[in-house]
Amino acid sequence: MIQVLAFYLFATLVIASAVFVIMSRNPVHSVLWLIVAFFNAAGLMVLVGAEFIAMLLVIVYVGAVAVLFLFVVMMLDIDFAELRAGFIRNFPLGIAIALVLVAELVLGIGAERAGALKLGTPDGTAAPLMDRSNIEAIGALLYSRYLFLFESAGIILLVAMIGAIVLTHRERSDTRRQNISKQVKRRPDEATINVKPEVGKGVQL
Amino acid sequence: MVDLSQYLPILIFLAIAQGLSAAFVFLPIGVAYLTGAHKPDAEKLSEYECGFPAFEDPRSQFDVRFYLVAILFIIFDLEAAFLFPWAVSLDVTGWPGWITMMIFLAELVIGFAYAWKKGALEWE
Amino acid sequence: MTSFFQTLGMTHEWAWFTATIAGILLIALPLMLAVAMIIYVDRKIWAAMALRRGPNVVGPFGLLQSFADGLKVFLQETIIPSAANKVLFLIAPIITFTVALMAWAVIPFNSGAVLADINVGLLYVLAVSSLGVYGVVIAGWASNSKYPFFSAMRAAAQMISYEVSIGFILICVVLWAGSFNLNAIVMAQKDHVWLINGFVANPLLFPLWVMFLISGMAETARAPFDLTEAESELVAGYQTEYSSMAFALYWLGEYANVLLMCALNATLFFGGWLPPLDIPVLYLVPGWLWLFAKIFFFFFIFSWVKATVPRYRYDQLMRLGWKIFLPVSLLFVVLVSGWLMATHHFCDADQTLYPDPDHYGRIVNNGVCP
Repeated sequence: MIQVLAFYLFATLVIASAVFVIMSRNPVHSVLWLIVAFFNAAGLMVLVGAEFIAMLLVIVYVGAVAVLFLFVVMMLDIDFAELRAGFIRNFPLGIAIALVLVAELVLGIGAERAGALKLGTPDGTAAPLMDRSNIEAIGALLYSRYLFLFESAGIILLVAMIGAIVLTHRERSDTRRQNISKQVKRRPDEATINVKPEVGKGVQL
Repeated sequence: MVDLSQYLPILIFLAIAQGLSAAFVFLPIGVAYLTGAHKPDAEKLSEYECGFPAFEDPRSQFDVRFYLVAILFIIFDLEAAFLFPWAVSLDVTGWPGWITMMIFLAELVIGFAYAWKKGALEWE
Repeated sequence: MTSFFQTLGMTHEWAWFTATIAGILLIALPLMLAVAMIIYVDRKIWAAMALRRGPNVVGPFGLLQSFADGLKVFLQETIIPSAANKVLFLIAPIITFTVALMAWAVIPFNSGAVLADINVGLLYVLAVSSLGVYGVVIAGWASNSKYPFFSAMRAAAQMISYEVSIGFILICVVLWAGSFNLNAIVMAQKDHVWLINGFVANPLLFPLWVMFLISGMAETARAPFDLTEAESELVAGYQTEYSSMAFALYWLGEYANVLLMCALNATLFFGGWLPPLDIPVLYLVPGWLWLFAKIFFFFFIFSWVKATVPRYRYDQLMRLGWKIFLPVSLLFVVLVSGWLMATHHFCDADQTLYPDPDHYGRIVNNGVCP
């Protein structure tokens, strides 16, 4: 009973906030509605028993990806009126993407009706480690059976990191950096000299 | 398996915490109307800029370095996300699982070394 | 607590519901009281270290100072700048305070005395604390004023930088405890090294605790990492445009977060509600008292640091997070996991064998144990 109520609460909020994401005039509001949508999606994940995925959704999407989005929309000087002018021009493209997404949804629902996904066992009779929490079950599969996929995920992350640095890093030459080891190594006799200047004469440095 | 009855208190707690903090924000507004403390004027409501009128729009362009920090954070956060299930399943994956993760970490250490060398981790 | 309400003649569902509400109020209300008192304690500690008296007028020894302050801000006018984004401006403090309360749902106060005993408790704490950045960023943006905006950007970059190393440190703790459940983590610390209840006595985990403590200060933007409200540069940071209770909520939220960090230090490294030593006599003292004593001890450290250490510069802060804590904590993930594998830490139960995923029904040795 409570589960059903919670499902409809989260589902309604996901859809409503998704609608607000595309309806908001201000891009910052869009991102904030997106965060609400992520959050409620995490609630739905908990309801189907995928607690690890739910927490990851919050940690990675809300805690990291959405922060980047916020940085971008808050600090970039984008003329949003101009962007919106392209709406009509890009309308066919948007329709095409929407159709692809609908097709994916239909496929997904069809696959789900064909029977639950039973990863880990070829004959699908039973999945290993179901008596343990699903975070351990995911680990047991990911780092043994699917380790190739896991390693390629690592390569993709590496490419993403290098790409980000190449695209956004600009060397600045007009700043002076702190070299801490040099500062620590400095001794008083290198930095100061004792002189006894004669009266009426300056000091030669 | 997942015990959903353990998650229901969190949902109730969320509702109560939100209600409590909303009351803290909105009650004083109402009280200020009643006590007569609510006396806004144009100067009071202008944004703070050390006594000057605001020079320009505060939401200006920012240093690109903030994006770089955010992107690097996403990548390392994902790395940590992969470490979570690994940490609790080492008893079943054993040495192969451990070596798998070491290779994964080595891939990211290459990226980290590159970022270090390029000076992407410096904040000037 | 459910059974107690059942004895009053309620049905099981209603008894559970009432017990949950009571539990929530038992966490939230004392927490707010504790925050009010801890602000007073904080001020007294700085005053003592600066050879001042601190608050001493309101009530005996100035004990009621925080309540007087609270009443004052409550009766103040809430100023909403005309240029501000009004709805978000008011939502931001609500987010900060809600998030600061939420994480306490999974902290165990005693054996079994936890509001939500979930499998992924530690991930929940991490998830909730990663939301904390939004209260600050939204406040800075919605104020539509320069200093709050600068401060919000600083705060966001600072918080996410230290979250990375906190994540790696937590993984080391989880490796040793074998679970994300906070109660299980506390129990795993029982009699860890020479009767000491706590991972901190472990030479491999002690450096991680030091990093966790410092990262906790950076994550909660406490001195010496309080660059987000560096008054010499940014007026009052993201709180500049705030007044009345909305301003006070940031204070309350900040101190609730500091207390949470203290509680996490106690729970993850100092044995939580367990007594410091595994001696039967010490178990006579209730667990929550031990936890509170440990929280207070860590709060004293936080205060002590705030009173004595000068503020970091922003580039130094970033250097510490990215160039020292990140590689060192990553190295410790390798060291700790390698040590645990080499010493057959995971071999205690019948978990040495596991079903081969490729051939279901066949049991293979995974090579962990001799």
